[in-house]
Amino acid sequence: MARRSVVARGLQGPVEQRLLQSIVDATVSLFDAEASSIALFERDPDRLEYRVAAGEHGAGAVGLTVKPSEGIAGFVFSTGQAVSLSDVAADPRFDREAAERTGYVPRSVAAVPLYDEEGTIGVLQVLDKRGSESFSLRDMELLAVFAAQATAAITATRVQRGTARLMTHILEHVGDGTLTEEQVDAIVSDATRGLDDHADTPFWHLVDHVEALRTLGERDLTLVADILNVVARHAERAPRRR
Amino acid sequence: MSGLDLPAWSEPFTDVAGLARRMRLRGISRDWAWGGSTGAGVRVGIVDSGLEASHPRLNGRVAQSVAVQLVDGEPEVVPDEAVDLYGHATACGGIILGMAPEVELVSIRVLGADLRGKGTAFAAGLEWAIEQGIDVLNLSLSSKSEALFPVFHDLVDKAYFRGIPLVSAANNVPAASYPSLFSTVVSVAAHGEADPWRLYYNPSPPVEFGAWGVEVPIAWKDGGTTVATGNSFAAPHVTGMVALILAKHRGLTPFEVKAVLAAVADNPRRAGGEAASRVGGVAP
Repeated sequence: MARRSVVARGLQGPVEQRLLQSIVDATVSLFDAEASSIALFERDPDRLEYRVAAGEHGAGAVGLTVKPSEGIAGFVFSTGQAVSLSDVAADPRFDREAAERTGYVPRSVAAVPLYDEEGTIGVLQVLDKRGSESFSLRDMELLAVFAAQATAAITATRVQRGTARLMTHILEHVGDGTLTEEQVDAIVSDATRGLDDHADTPFWHLVDHVEALRTLGERDLTLVADILNVVARHAERAPRRR
Repeated sequence: MSGLDLPAWSEPFTDVAGLARRMRLRGISRDWAWGGSTGAGVRVGIVDSGLEASHPRLNGRVAQSVAVQLVDGEPEVVPDEAVDLYGHATACGGIILGMAPEVELVSIRVLGADLRGKGTAFAAGLEWAIEQGIDVLNLSLSSKSEALFPVFHDLVDKAYFRGIPLVSAANNVPAASYPSLFSTVVSVAAHGEADPWRLYYNPSPPVEFGAWGVEVPIAWKDGGTTVATGNSFAAPHVTGMVALILAKHRGLTPFEVKAVLAAVADNPRRAGGEAASRVGGVAP
């Protein structure tokens, strides 16, 4: 059982984490913001868990959990409505406790829901644009695009995880007791590693996205170009990874 | 990225010149629509996070507070203590009272610790409000649940046939959400002009109206205030206008209310507007 969970973690953890991290990194860079984070909904008990964060003041949020009935993240999660607030720090009553736990109380915050076909699954937040005291409509639109990316990343890794679980289940039954737990794990691990290497590589994701972009209007394409510019600048600065 | 075939939330209202109209109902002015009205006698339901009745911005105008509870998954409407978990409903109530100071507010809480914004709770709260015959409902929230599509569809029709306008914040992101996408709903997105009375009609739905939703000073929880941006804060501006209209013209139906709103909207006159003066004229 221990080994199985190692296999499962190997499948989901790094891929999802890396993709989400790249999204908050790009968000901080694009908005020139103090911090950005993604919180995902988890059950038992119901909570929003901060998975990744970026920016000078972002790190304190990772691992933090808040109730879905609390604060701006809870609100956006519960209503599915994007919102931004400014003058947050000026109001001593607003969400200060949760903010202080992260070690940073923002002046302004923008938050958009992450949602898939089933409903809202989490929240993407940005704190404090350096160049401005508040977030504009265009900022909110851009943030929604990043949220869509994050959701796509989560969905892709969850499909992969689900596939692994399904295969394990089938093999256990088909094998009718003749396969050991280690053998099942090894087969699943091999098969799903293949999935990671081929269909789900960032390259093919990119190809899919470019294909999808063909239907966009001029305005959306400008938005995409803006985003790519930021990502390209980010890539130039970042140390090259294998 | 699957939702990008729908327009982004406030796109129509970022280029107001594009909203120029050639034809418009004539003879309906703002003065006719709501001149002298304070909203007195109209009950406005806010289906949301619960109104903080003691908030100074709400001027003691909360007449009733109920909440939806889920008991074994089944929704029940029960009396509620008049508090606001987030501040969001109170923000909406404050905006409405800022425009229609003498309306009565009814708080219908469908969000909360045990609800997590469940679509079923939202639908149950909406149904209760419609059955109570509340005059106009502000819905600054939405559900993306495909499973609830038919439920919301039936409720929206029920409201329409009973003559209750539903004012719904459009989804903030380009994707389907209910009930704001239904045609009989007054759906609202944000524009950035800091004027509570500035209203635009978008002749290219699904989002039909634009109202102030950027950097809006709002009431927030625990007696506080803040400044916020979102379609959530645009919708109550329109709800306020609808309340004023209904107070002055009792018995107008939802489609008549929409027509009045479109007639008094601030859309510019179409350039080279010979047709404009001949066909419709432009409301003040």
